[in-house]
Amino acid sequence: MVLPPVAVVAVFIGFPVGAAIAYTLGKTGGPNSTVSLLAQRQHVAHHGVTTAAYREVLGNSHVRADLWATVWVTLVTIAVVVLLSWAIGLYLRLSDTRISRIVSALSVIPLFIPVVIASYAILTFYASQGFIKTLAYHLGWHSFPTLGYTLWAVVIGEIWVNVPFGVLMMSSGLNSVPNALIEAARDSGASLPRTVRSVLLPMNVIPTVIVATFTGIYVLGSFTVPYLTGPSAPNLMGVSMANFFSAFNQPQQAEVMAMIVFVLAIGIGTIYIWANVRAAKRASSTT
Amino acid sequence: MSAVESQGVALGGLEQAELPVARTARRRRPTARSLTLRIVGTVFVLALLVFMVGPIVWLAVRAFSGLWQYPQFLPSDWTLQWWRTVFDDKTLGHSMRLSFEFAPIVTVASAAICLPAAYAFSRFNFPGRRVLLVSLFATNAFPKIGLYISMAGVFYSLNLMGTFLGVVIVQLIGTIVFMTWIPTAAFSAIPRSLEEAARDVGAGPLRVFFRVTFPLAAPGIFVAMILSFLAAFDEAQGTFLVGIPNYITMPTEMYTLVLNYPEQAAAVFSILLAIPSVVLMSLARKHVMGGKLAEGFQIR
Repeated sequence: MVLPPVAVVAVFIGFPVGAAIAYTLGKTGGPNSTVSLLAQRQHVAHHGVTTAAYREVLGNSHVRADLWATVWVTLVTIAVVVLLSWAIGLYLRLSDTRISRIVSALSVIPLFIPVVIASYAILTFYASQGFIKTLAYHLGWHSFPTLGYTLWAVVIGEIWVNVPFGVLMMSSGLNSVPNALIEAARDSGASLPRTVRSVLLPMNVIPTVIVATFTGIYVLGSFTVPYLTGPSAPNLMGVSMANFFSAFNQPQQAEVMAMIVFVLAIGIGTIYIWANVRAAKRASSTT
Repeated sequence: MSAVESQGVALGGLEQAELPVARTARRRRPTARSLTLRIVGTVFVLALLVFMVGPIVWLAVRAFSGLWQYPQFLPSDWTLQWWRTVFDDKTLGHSMRLSFEFAPIVTVASAAICLPAAYAFSRFNFPGRRVLLVSLFATNAFPKIGLYISMAGVFYSLNLMGTFLGVVIVQLIGTIVFMTWIPTAAFSAIPRSLEEAARDVGAGPLRVFFRVTFPLAAPGIFVAMILSFLAAFDEAQGTFLVGIPNYITMPTEMYTLVLNYPEQAAAVFSILLAIPSVVLMSLARKHVMGGKLAEGFQIR
């Protein structure tokens, strides 16, 4: 029964990824023969493998700039999304007023909007004639910087897209903390920050790790948000990958970049899996 | 009522927000502190409102705008002409129809492939279960564009480029995580004792599944189907790469629109494209907010 989805993943993801690994190492035969037919600047290994494509890509200063931009945007987005999800999650956990219900509704709005549209909307909102500039103008701040087509717009877009998942994860995690525990801490004189630090935080490591890792992986592999809102260079790896593939007709270099991002994503994914396995072990040892 | 009891009532009841504030406020500097907190809270909510809803409203207004000069908050001239432009454009109508063809097919195919697996993942503890469950996560971890590029190579060899099936497969890939993980959590949440009880009173395995297991797991499956539908409906990159030139769906068309059409037409198209998402997510809202999505991402 488990076979069908695993088979789909194996055939349409595992196999292409395997082929892509071989291709980046200079193997142009087999499943890569069609792609390599028209590709430019290919590094071909006639015997064994070659790391020439990796050396070329990593030696390219533009790619390195894109890589740093990707890492920077990913880290900033993770930090903000985790903080924001915690703040909203805590607020929703400790409060049930009309305002908190509005906040909860606001924070899931991005779920309802396709990413293409969100990116476009965010671009126009922060553009040189967008709302933020207009607002700044009326407030007398005429030299307010235009965020559209900068990495800041990318960060804003990625945060916007990732907030609902973060809030849903964190409020689900925080809701599973029994009221009795919070009350006990408060009654023994713990302040609210102390209660958060010593009760809520230790009990919500897993949801926090999930929010951080999934946000990170999403940003690393994203294309639409940076493509529509970001600068032409340096931009995120997803965009430059697509450029190397279609505009420069260098699929091998594009795949090398995909591998670099994949390695980063695997690094993040390992944290997620480690945290989950640790939690599952602990759960099974206590019951 | 003791202090503990009143706390319990407060936390479980309606006025939870006031609790931490009221508590410290009662002890020292009552008004100043609560006032600051209230102001900070209001500013935060307002900022969140602008951040979350602002861009959407700004774009929606654009769809009805004639003349709109910077720095004015609203257009000086309103019009519906951009809606006519979009509706009169035959290629745009075609891409809308295509989108509504692909998404349901992909959702049903994904359900057929993944739901039995989700049931197996939750009910049987076979060796390698967790490894397989996590391996499906590979669909999320590999950068999509890199994946599509390598998929394209394989698709050429299989003659799937530019075909209906090729697009279905590309969109299907993006739904597998939702369709497996969320229903797995939904099945796992059903106590086995319920199924055993039904079996004890003489129900066959099929009857148990359809009368007990399935109805209880239905909300989770429903959420998974909606999310899959939207994932397929909104998928742009892979469809663009594999479907071109025969199958241009709405989100793929959006890339061109943003670059080649007036902003207002793109705004109109955006609203049209957002309608299915808004309607479907509103249907699933209760369950998504209720934790069905969150449960799915904690592997057990």
